[in-house]
Amino acid sequence: MIDIGGFSLRFALVLALLGFGSAIYAGVQRKPEWTRVAERSVWLVFTFVSIAMIALFYAFATFDFQNFYVASHSARSMDLQYRLAALWGGQAGSLLLWLWILLAYSVASVWFNRTQNRTLMPWVVAVLLANAIFFLVLVAFVTEPFQLLQPGDILSDGTGLNPLLQHPVMMIHPLMLYTGLVGFAVPFAFAFAALVTGELGTNWFRTTRRWTLFPWLFLSIGIMLGGRWAYEVLGWGGYWAWDPVENASFMPWLPATAFLHSVMIQEKRNMLKTWNLLLIGLTYTLCLFGTFLTRSGIVQSVHAFAQSPIFTSVFLGYTLFSAAIFFSAVAIRRKEIRSPNRIESVISREAGFLLNNWVFISLLVWIFTGTLFPVAAEIVQGEQISVGPGFFPIMAGPLALFLLFLTGVGPLIAWRRASLSSVTKQFSKPAVVGLITSLASWYGLGDRAVYYPIICWGLGGFVIATIVQEYALAIRARVRKGEENVFQAFRALLRKNQQRYGGYIVHFGAVLIIVGMAGSVFDEERLENIRTGDQFEIGGYRLEYLTATAIPMQHYGGAVARLALYRGDKPLGVMTPEKRMYWLEDQPASIPAVYSTLREDLYITLTAIEKDGSATFKIYRNPMVNWIWIGGCVFVIGSLAVMWPHPDRSRESKAT
Amino acid sequence: MTKGVQIAVGATAIAALLGWYGATNLDSTPAFTYYKSLEEFQANAGARSGARSRVHGYVAAKSIHRDIEAMQVHFEVQNTPPHAGGASGSPLVVVLASLETPDLFKDGAEVVVEGHLVTSSGGTIFEADKVLAKCPSKFEAKPPGLAES
Repeated sequence: MIDIGGFSLRFALVLALLGFGSAIYAGVQRKPEWTRVAERSVWLVFTFVSIAMIALFYAFATFDFQNFYVASHSARSMDLQYRLAALWGGQAGSLLLWLWILLAYSVASVWFNRTQNRTLMPWVVAVLLANAIFFLVLVAFVTEPFQLLQPGDILSDGTGLNPLLQHPVMMIHPLMLYTGLVGFAVPFAFAFAALVTGELGTNWFRTTRRWTLFPWLFLSIGIMLGGRWAYEVLGWGGYWAWDPVENASFMPWLPATAFLHSVMIQEKRNMLKTWNLLLIGLTYTLCLFGTFLTRSGIVQSVHAFAQSPIFTSVFLGYTLFSAAIFFSAVAIRRKEIRSPNRIESVISREAGFLLNNWVFISLLVWIFTGTLFPVAAEIVQGEQISVGPGFFPIMAGPLALFLLFLTGVGPLIAWRRASLSSVTKQFSKPAVVGLITSLASWYGLGDRAVYYPIICWGLGGFVIATIVQEYALAIRARVRKGEENVFQAFRALLRKNQQRYGGYIVHFGAVLIIVGMAGSVFDEERLENIRTGDQFEIGGYRLEYLTATAIPMQHYGGAVARLALYRGDKPLGVMTPEKRMYWLEDQPASIPAVYSTLREDLYITLTAIEKDGSATFKIYRNPMVNWIWIGGCVFVIGSLAVMWPHPDRSRESKAT
Repeated sequence: MTKGVQIAVGATAIAALLGWYGATNLDSTPAFTYYKSLEEFQANAGARSGARSRVHGYVAAKSIHRDIEAMQVHFEVQNTPPHAGGASGSPLVVVLASLETPDLFKDGAEVVVEGHLVTSSGGTIFEADKVLAKCPSKFEAKPPGLAES
């Protein structure tokens, strides 16, 4: 059996090296025909990497257990969709997936820029192919997905996939995350191209704005899906543990979000240009660093991927090398980047956005420090120190409040210098709403009142009031003209100024998420050991333990408990937490039973059926948690509204 | 005051506020904990008594006992996996102050216990308030006989 996959990858590597050379030559010598050669090589590399992907999918689909990777990540008991998703369930396959997504983005950026940005493209292709070469070297020589076992060692079944990954959300979470993380290579490449060619005007990021929004949206979705999966499957009642692997995906999101906002200032007032270049460089560097952190295992994590020292040093070396080249280019061009304009007043939109950048960077520094502290401590002190999850909210909490405040103030406040009268006019009503929300929260919480949720929910009310005010004023103005009704006006706003009005929807979603998170201050958890027929109460609910029975035999077994749920005398349903044992992988899993309302979740896991016949349950009451998922959906809808390619809009931009 | 000075003063004030807030709160939460393998921990047992630590090891075979009445779990931690054999030194006796154990917790599981050492007339016990079990890594060493491709 010819190793189509392995051969394709090695051939793709050769093509990528040739393409990279052509791109550099085209850029240095300014030869457009060589740019075309480089662009065509991108298509070819994509083709051969796709062949390798198809070969690996085929191996999984057809139970090809001679392939070591397939044998160690799948089994005959797995359904087809999980076998295919198992391709990214391990190191080598997930690197191949990363590589393929990178090439898909590269092909797309070549295609959409075939008649524009021609002077930038040789450098864009060079950067993208350089990254492709790195990942090709990894999958062709260091962690290969196409290693074959000797005929004598082939077993009739594979060893299976971690059962926690056999879940619909886990199938797509890596895809979303990679579509996000990998995608930042494109704006990074364009930024580098702008630095090299000296074309540092607004053109490079205007054409790449959608190229930044798109991966940013997918990264946001990927992070939220990860949290949702953890909540549904891991059975510890939470959705975020500040584990190094979680932080690795969140850290690039911070400068990316700052960048998306900060470029508005560059566009309108030609300011913060150095910031923007640094932010996009930081974003992509953190994407590479984050995946390095996850795969190298240098920080202790429950998501441990063991790894060889070669891999660790190669990956870290490449990340630092890529960062060094980019930031050197920024330093070299610093005089050309410097803006002619200065901030005129601390009370202005420019100042607000600058402050926004600083808040995001502060949060990033805090999280980075906490995540890498164990590594630093070990190098310096020789002792291994763990950083607990309690470290991160210390700063994340207050900084989130700061961000909420800026979310309300930033979009409304005047450019250059805001006068006292404009500030009063714009913010007095929302400020009143915010104050009322705070006071209502204080009153509603009664003797459980704590400062954080009161301030957080008050600020949430303030921001939502600013959004409603903005929409109301604009819709009213349009309707008054007499040609549109309210709905038509709403749609027109989203079409004519999608950045602003779509952005408001995104902000609305973000506010709901933070408001929901603030509810965790009131989380309650309890451990109960009871016998059948016993009852217990928690937070106004009453639970009666009915039975525990064995799960019907399939590729997993275990026990399922049944508890009747009441609120007062009203029966609400039966909750059925499970304790599963996956036979092949010899791994247990706790599947929680959750009763969800807008107000809170009641979340129960079956910890154990004890030897004496009693059952131990862990019960969590999580107030406001569903606002996080609702806010997440609004966030995504808003992002789509911002990005949506309206036909009349693209006609307008082609005309100019 | 010029604008530049205004900004500098404001930024310093905010940074100082955040810094003070962070520093005072860091003390009150158990944010930093020493992480030791069992061998290292036992070598320094005297110094570590009472201090909060995380200790890494493996659950000794047949040592788990769930005490329903007292809502505790008793077990022993040794420095090598039971199936690998050759465990040296005496095992660490652990009492977990809760019946809640992670899914992967069983004989031979690779664990990290978090708590502190307590010496009493009955001997030394590690009082743990948390047990973490590691996900079994899927990236084991190459099995023998892998074909050269």
